[in-house]
Amino acid sequence: MTAATPKGASRGALRILHLFPRLLGLNGESGNVEILRLRSERRGLPVEVLSYDGPDDAAVRARFDDADLVFIGSGPVSAELIAHPLVTAVAGDLRALAADGRPFLAVGAGFQLLGQTVTLESGEVLEGASLFPVATRHGGTRVVGDFVLDSPRIGPIVGFENRGSFVDVGPHGTLGRVVYGRGNSETPGEEGFWEDNLLGTHMHGPLLANNPALADSLLDTARLRRGLEYTDPAPESLRLVDESARQSRATIAAAPLSE
Amino acid sequence: MTARTTAAVLVGRAVRVAARLRGGGSAIPGNIALRIDPDFLERTIAAIPDGVVAVSGSNGKSTTTNMLAAIIRAHGLKVFTNPSGGNLPQGIASALLSEVSLGGRLDADIAILEVDEGYGTRLAELLKPKTVLLLNIQIDQLNRYHEPDRVAAMLARVAATSTEGLILNREDNFLVDLDTRIPAYSGRAVSFFGGVPELVEPAGHGVASADRFGDVGAKPGSRPAAVEVVALTGNRATLAIEPDTRIEVKLPSRGLHYALDAAGAAATARSVLGDRFRPELVSQALDSLATVYGRGELLVVDGEQIEIIMMKNPASLQLNLDSLESAPEQVFLAVDEGTPDPSWIWDIDFSALDHVDGITGSKAWQFATRFGYLDIPVGSVDLDVRAALKAFLALPKPATGHKVMILNYEQMMGIRKILGFKELEGGGAA
Ligand SMILES: [Zn+2]
Repeated sequence: MTAATPKGASRGALRILHLFPRLLGLNGESGNVEILRLRSERRGLPVEVLSYDGPDDAAVRARFDDADLVFIGSGPVSAELIAHPLVTAVAGDLRALAADGRPFLAVGAGFQLLGQTVTLESGEVLEGASLFPVATRHGGTRVVGDFVLDSPRIGPIVGFENRGSFVDVGPHGTLGRVVYGRGNSETPGEEGFWEDNLLGTHMHGPLLANNPALADSLLDTARLRRGLEYTDPAPESLRLVDESARQSRATIAAAPLSE
Repeated sequence: MTARTTAAVLVGRAVRVAARLRGGGSAIPGNIALRIDPDFLERTIAAIPDGVVAVSGSNGKSTTTNMLAAIIRAHGLKVFTNPSGGNLPQGIASALLSEVSLGGRLDADIAILEVDEGYGTRLAELLKPKTVLLLNIQIDQLNRYHEPDRVAAMLARVAATSTEGLILNREDNFLVDLDTRIPAYSGRAVSFFGGVPELVEPAGHGVASADRFGDVGAKPGSRPAAVEVVALTGNRATLAIEPDTRIEVKLPSRGLHYALDAAGAAATARSVLGDRFRPELVSQALDSLATVYGRGELLVVDGEQIEIIMMKNPASLQLNLDSLESAPEQVFLAVDEGTPDPSWIWDIDFSALDHVDGITGSKAWQFATRFGYLDIPVGSVDLDVRAALKAFLALPKPATGHKVMILNYEQMMGIRKILGFKELEGGGAA
């Protein structure tokens, strides 16, 4: 699953750790990693993607501390249950990366497992990796449909929501206020968690495709920590995709639909 | 009870005519008939002498049901089947309405029914299939059923209702050992279909089966197949049928998935017919089948051929893209709300395309974004379907002789209508 990377490129390259791409990545979510890589590479900063699916990937496990940015995606409950012990096994290292300011993007089940607890429909409680100070409760009606947020940091954020759970984020900062869709709680209010270098959400799928400002924010946090520069900060090829993304956001926000 | 059945049939038929005139609502008459006489479907089906064969799975249900019905008919049986897509209880009741006598009797030896996997459990209780054919479990059902595991559990319940035959795709992660995960039933014969590894492995995206997590039992491909695809050239496949027959068959279009559908249909006919099964009739039946509506179909518009690729879900789109012989010279794409969340286009390998001429439908910009990151040039994006279509048709005639349109189901229906193709089946220009 590791994207092709030229061998000697790692020295000046930005390194993205993609956690459990096989288990957690049901909804085209590896697209997020591809978008992060391409947005950096088109600006002249090479990227190395490290994919970690479990203890078999010992070589990647040994390089966790090289990660400049970490992505973990969503998946069905069956995959979440299998991922749980695998996440627990690396929880200490992940907490260290988070405490060191490396940006994390965590979606759906991945977000839940990096939180404090996940209460299943059976009542059973899974201990999370405790990077995010949030608690998840499975159950209630599933919401499936377009998802529109307003973020104080970057403006409108648009995507798709497909979840059967609630997240308690306490008094913490969120990704944005829900304009259309459900969000963290039973009554629409706020969505996800976003404080400092930690971003968690149930906006599933390739959320960075419609929202390139989020991708750039994560990349900036990652590369500035390492002092890495873009050689061409605003290439024409990104201007074109950003215009398509703007049109996508406008189309969805103008007539959002749910199941 | 007979009076009630007659009333149900009559009212249902009247509504059916009315619905036809208004141009839609094919499930409505069945719905009304079921309301007047709730047992109508169950009772009529139960009276069919050779019983019911249920065909289910994520992809290829219509194609395979069509193939199987043709094969069984070629053996001389009278077949009742539901039209493509009419695979919910109301749809099946609607199909029955057009064929039963006023007393509710059906002149058929056997029913071959495409069954929606979401309604599979309920339909299986109602239809009591003697034989069940399961094709595949793919991730397309995300928005409807959310998880492949849940679809797998639903199909396992359908499989468990089979009393005489269970036919499974051994290349599917979930189906390869489904027989070992359902309660045994004495007298149930389990058989498999598949393809030789040389065909299945290099298919790039294989047969695009959903990933399975947890209790992984048998490896895909590991069960002996009653019918195996052993060669594939264009739209012709060679099937090896146990014990020792090889036949060549014509497929509706290029693509390994069609060859596997044909193998599934042949394996099911073999299971249902037993000693009466004659392999050569499989070739004869499939040769005579018309191109399946909406998949690899060629429309002729103003003397130009337009190949339609239906974008039903990730798996079917990937297989159809993979089966393109070269990058199409002119490509048009239309996707609307019928595909609520096109997130999965990030899992699709679009390298079969080197450019796209035009994109329309409310999801157009999401595709344009994806193509932008892939460096696949896009000619124009216009959310006005008629205008976009007009611009595409106005392009000079391609040297290859045909244009390609990649459409979701809703856009396919709409665009056929705009182009003047009125009838669902057949496909002749108006
Ligand atoms: Zn806080």
